[in-house]
Amino acid sequence: MNARTIRLFLFAPLLLATCAAAQSVTPPTTGGAPNASQPEVTLLPMEPVKVTVGKSASFHLSFQVCEGFHINSNAPKNPDLIPTVLKLSPPGEMVTGKVAYPEGQLLTLPFLPDEKLSVYTGTFQVSGMVKTTRSLSPGTYRVRGKLEYQPCSDRQCLPPRSTPLSFDVKVVRGSSAHRANPPQSPNIHN
Amino acid sequence: MKINLLTFLLLIVVVSAMFLGGRYLANRSQPAASAQITGDANGQLAPDFELKDLTGKVVRLRDFRGQAVLLNFWATWCPPCKEEMPWFADLQQRYGPQGLQVIGVAMDDSGLPAIESFAKKLGVNYLVLLGKEAVAQAYGNVQFLPDTFYINRDGRIVAHVQGLIGRKEIEERVKKALGDKVAGQQTAGNAATAAVKTGTP
Repeated sequence: MNARTIRLFLFAPLLLATCAAAQSVTPPTTGGAPNASQPEVTLLPMEPVKVTVGKSASFHLSFQVCEGFHINSNAPKNPDLIPTVLKLSPPGEMVTGKVAYPEGQLLTLPFLPDEKLSVYTGTFQVSGMVKTTRSLSPGTYRVRGKLEYQPCSDRQCLPPRSTPLSFDVKVVRGSSAHRANPPQSPNIHN
Repeated sequence: MKINLLTFLLLIVVVSAMFLGGRYLANRSQPAASAQITGDANGQLAPDFELKDLTGKVVRLRDFRGQAVLLNFWATWCPPCKEEMPWFADLQQRYGPQGLQVIGVAMDDSGLPAIESFAKKLGVNYLVLLGKEAVAQAYGNVQFLPDTFYINRDGRIVAHVQGLIGRKEIEERVKKALGDKVAGQQTAGNAATAAVKTGTP
C-alpha cells in the first residue's frame, strides 16, 4: 500500500463527515405556548373494579380538568364542537358496556353571551359496565383506553387531544362474590 | 514533496466543493416556509407559505407584500375564534381599500365543506386558507387558537396575539400594521363603518 492510498483512507471518513454535517438541517426552535403539549384532563387514582366470573360490575372513572380549562361535554349543544368520548379496549373475554356520561354544566362565556356551552370543568365522572365470560380465570386484568376531548379556556382553545388511561379489573370466583355482598337489613321481614 | 503538496491542495478543493454542495442540497430540501419564528415574533419577518384557498387556488403570503396582513389561525371547534370572525369581516370591509388583507388559516380536519359552510355562516368576506402543520410550525408552533399575527406592508410582524382580545384592541393592531398611510384616510373609513353591523365585544 503506497502513501497515496494511505492518505485516501485517512481522509475519506473526514470527507464523509463534513458532507453529512453540511447537509443536516438544524431543527427549528419553536416558541409555542406553555403547557401546550400537556394533557388538560387526568384520570384520578381508583381502586380496582371487582367483578365475579361470568357477571358484570359497574366502574366509575373520575377525571380532573385542569384549572382554567373546560372541555365540551359528551353532548355539546353546538354541532361544530367536539364531544368528550371515552374509548375502552378491554382484554379478551371481557366486554365493556355502554358508557354513561354526566350532563354538562351550562357555561356562558363573556364573549359569547348568546351561546350556552355544555361543558365539564373540575372533576367529573364517567361510568360504565364491565362483564366477564364464564371461562375467564380469576385474576387482575387491565382495561386500557383513552378519553378524547377538546379543551378551551375562556379565551383560547387547544386542538382535540386524548388522555391515555387504564384501570384494573379484579376478577373473583363466584363464592367470594357472595361473601362480598352486604348482609340484608335485620329490620326487613317478610 | 511537490506531489504531496499538490495532493493536499486537491484535497482541500474537493472538501470545499463537497461542503458547499452539501449545504446547497440541504437548503434546497428545506420546507416551503421561508423562515421559522423563534421567540418573540414581533419584528421578525413573517415566514412565507403556500396554502390552498377554498377554491383550490394556491395562495402565497408574499403575494400580499405591500399590503398589511392580519393572519389569523382558527378552527371550527374554537368558540373564541368564532367570535372574532365577524369582527375581521368588518375590518376587511373598512380597511381593505387602505391595503388590509385578512387571511384566515383553518387549522382543523373537518374538511372543506364544513369549513366553507362555517365561514359562510359567519359572514366571512376575507381569504380563508386550508392550514397545514408545517405552516403552524413555521409560525412558532401554533397550538392555542385563535392565534393572530399582524404583518406590516414590508412583511414584518408588528404584533402577535394568542387568544381572544377585544375588538378595539384588534383594530389598534390593524392600524399599526397599516402604518402611517391609514391615519389620513380614517375619516372616510369611519363613514363606511356605520353601514356594517356585526357583533360587539
